[in-house]
Amino acid sequence: MTDIVGIDLGTTNSLIGVMDSGFPILIADREGSRLTPSVVYVPESGDPIVGAPANRMRALMPERTLYSVKRLIGRRPGESEKEDFPFAVRSQNGRMLLEIGDRLLNPEEVSSLVLKKLKADAEASLGRSVDRAVITVPAYFNDLQRQATKRAGELAEFTIERIINEPTAAALAYGLDRLRDRSKIAVYDLGGGTFDISILELNEGIFRVLSTNGNTRLGGDDIDRELVRLLKERIIGRYPELRPELDDRMFFARIRETAHEAKLRLSTEDVVQVEIPFLSGNRSFSYTLTRQELEAVARPIIRRTRSHCLRSLDDAKLDPRTLDEVILVGGVTRMPIVRQFCAEVFQRLPNITQNPDEAVAVGATIQAGILSGEVQNILLLDVTPLSLGIETFGGLMNVLIPRNSTIPCKAGEMFTNAVANQNSMQIVVLQGERELAKDNWELGRFDIEFEPVLKAVARVGVQFEIDADGILHVLARDTRTGREKVIELSSAVDVSDDAVEKMIAESLDHAFEDMSERVWTEAVLKSNELLPAVRSALTLVGDQITSDDQKKIDVLVIEVEAALKSHDSHRLKKANAELDEGTQHLATLLIDRAMSEAARRKK
Amino acid sequence: MIDYFALLDLERRPAITEETVKEAYFRKCESLHSDPARSGELIAVNAAFQTIVNPATRIQHLLMLEFGDAGGGQIEPDLGELFGTIVEVLQIADQELGSLSARSSPILRALAFQRLDGLREKLVRAEKELSQRESGLLAEVVRLDKSWFKSTVQSRHPLAQIALGLTFVRKWLSQVRERKIRLEELA
Repeated sequence: MTDIVGIDLGTTNSLIGVMDSGFPILIADREGSRLTPSVVYVPESGDPIVGAPANRMRALMPERTLYSVKRLIGRRPGESEKEDFPFAVRSQNGRMLLEIGDRLLNPEEVSSLVLKKLKADAEASLGRSVDRAVITVPAYFNDLQRQATKRAGELAEFTIERIINEPTAAALAYGLDRLRDRSKIAVYDLGGGTFDISILELNEGIFRVLSTNGNTRLGGDDIDRELVRLLKERIIGRYPELRPELDDRMFFARIRETAHEAKLRLSTEDVVQVEIPFLSGNRSFSYTLTRQELEAVARPIIRRTRSHCLRSLDDAKLDPRTLDEVILVGGVTRMPIVRQFCAEVFQRLPNITQNPDEAVAVGATIQAGILSGEVQNILLLDVTPLSLGIETFGGLMNVLIPRNSTIPCKAGEMFTNAVANQNSMQIVVLQGERELAKDNWELGRFDIEFEPVLKAVARVGVQFEIDADGILHVLARDTRTGREKVIELSSAVDVSDDAVEKMIAESLDHAFEDMSERVWTEAVLKSNELLPAVRSALTLVGDQITSDDQKKIDVLVIEVEAALKSHDSHRLKKANAELDEGTQHLATLLIDRAMSEAARRKK
Repeated sequence: MIDYFALLDLERRPAITEETVKEAYFRKCESLHSDPARSGELIAVNAAFQTIVNPATRIQHLLMLEFGDAGGGQIEPDLGELFGTIVEVLQIADQELGSLSARSSPILRALAFQRLDGLREKLVRAEKELSQRESGLLAEVVRLDKSWFKSTVQSRHPLAQIALGLTFVRKWLSQVRERKIRLEELA
């Protein structure tokens, strides 16, 4: 029996481990590091460089250094919001591609290079070949993202024994020496690119996931981005003439690097000195960044995890007070503000005993041990994070397998012909929680073929099965002929890029026709809503602001009124925006007032 | 049709505690899990657990096994009435949430926020009423369970009605809770 390794393929860092006489051990590379940066540098000629040396190229060759590729894996161009990567991300035939000079790589290929490096490190350390692996994915990854991750593993010449959810893996790491316990835990996993929350029941070695929720585009990268924005503002404040240069890729990469490091240090320090020497010519930038400033930009991002926590608690039918532990994993949970936030949401001090960077890899290794038979007495029951369904008449989603169903699981649906001699019918497969089909992820579509028979006589049963990796398999069976067929879903976006661009161009053309008139009308509507709102806010909380502030608001109101008469839409929009900005404080006071009133009423 | 009670080695009856179902399920899983060739059986065991642990689907499955159909009729009039109020609350919630998320001005959002408290109260009240209704229906299941073996046939109709009621009440509960979370998100 050969070894099975456990791999955490992370947004920022990746790790690999193996069971060694009953213990999960993480393997270090030649430099002695267990963390391999998930970064790939693609030189003009020669082989790509992976890990720490690639990471050092980030500020030097930003357009050739690929990072955070996990945010792109299994994604379709249409659904990706704008990402601030200094390297070129293109779409071709409905797929994401990274363009480095004249080379095109898809995200799976980039991830496979990281996996290959881990494999080589493990083989060097163990002195034997390693070809079977367990790879982790964010629990909230959909079917396409899981498949793409599996493909990356196969490209790295691994046999993928299991795809396991990251928070579940972390729970295994936490629970390995608590196999006699009965408890309910939450795992809050906030990493570089993704956020997951899972709630589990531990019952004498049985790890049962009760619910999971998350956001695959929420993480430390977002905090970095906001921090970059803040630093850019400060740089422009110091050197206004640098404004045009700041959008340069090289600049961006340097500022990002600095921001990221400052963020890490601010987890343990209260202030850090941010230094960017020779930013441009001989202008150097130096700034004292406080933890408070960082927390101000991080807070809105961290707050976005709250609703996911509440949903998973609801789905598990648990009150936060009935949880025994809240385990924190993922690098971002080193930030004190995240710990405070968790304490607030779950009404308890979080458990920080797990190494935030390593717990997931340790768990993946334990799962590898379970599959190889080396680890006994552990039983893992995981769930599918998203509801699976099909599009029905009227564009609605008909759920076949609800979210948080224990996997493996399956559901069947019978289809018939709506008219005589209809020879096929198209089925659109969806994943997500929204009522309208178009608001969910489309996993793909397929055609059911009918025999030529009278209306409603054809009978084709379709079986949707989600396997232990959380990956979907579809099987169709004609009950009249008894023929069975495995169905391959075809990509939803088989439209060519030209067609997409044409559509965008047309909609823009159309938009310009009545643009100016529409902008004016919208601005007027906004003013008409805003002015009375400001007036009533002033009557409610006007006494709580200084007369200076009062005067400033008056001036802004007068400008809006004047702009309304000017028919200058640009001026009116600007006046509205300034009034918005100037009444921010007033809005906060109003909310405080509403909250204290609500609190008073509760008493 | 697979008898999920038999699959989990459980007695066929309307009320079974969650603990009992879980224990039976875990026992089954442990015997299957070490063997990857038996993943088909695992699928059936998972389905059995999901069906039996949920009172509404458990009762429907029981009635299907005993009588060949789950026999759901019209929903009870008092539930119909409750449905009316819930739909109203949901509509108000969607409207308020929609208008709130569409607003970009801080001051407009703050003023809308003043109204949210009323909405939150409405949702909390609806949730409470639904939870009470749920407990009432579950208590009724336990009551019918006591006489199940003596009067199986007589229990058929009331059980079918309870299963139907539970299905609706749970669905509304999750809809109300989702609105509560969305409200929190915006506030």
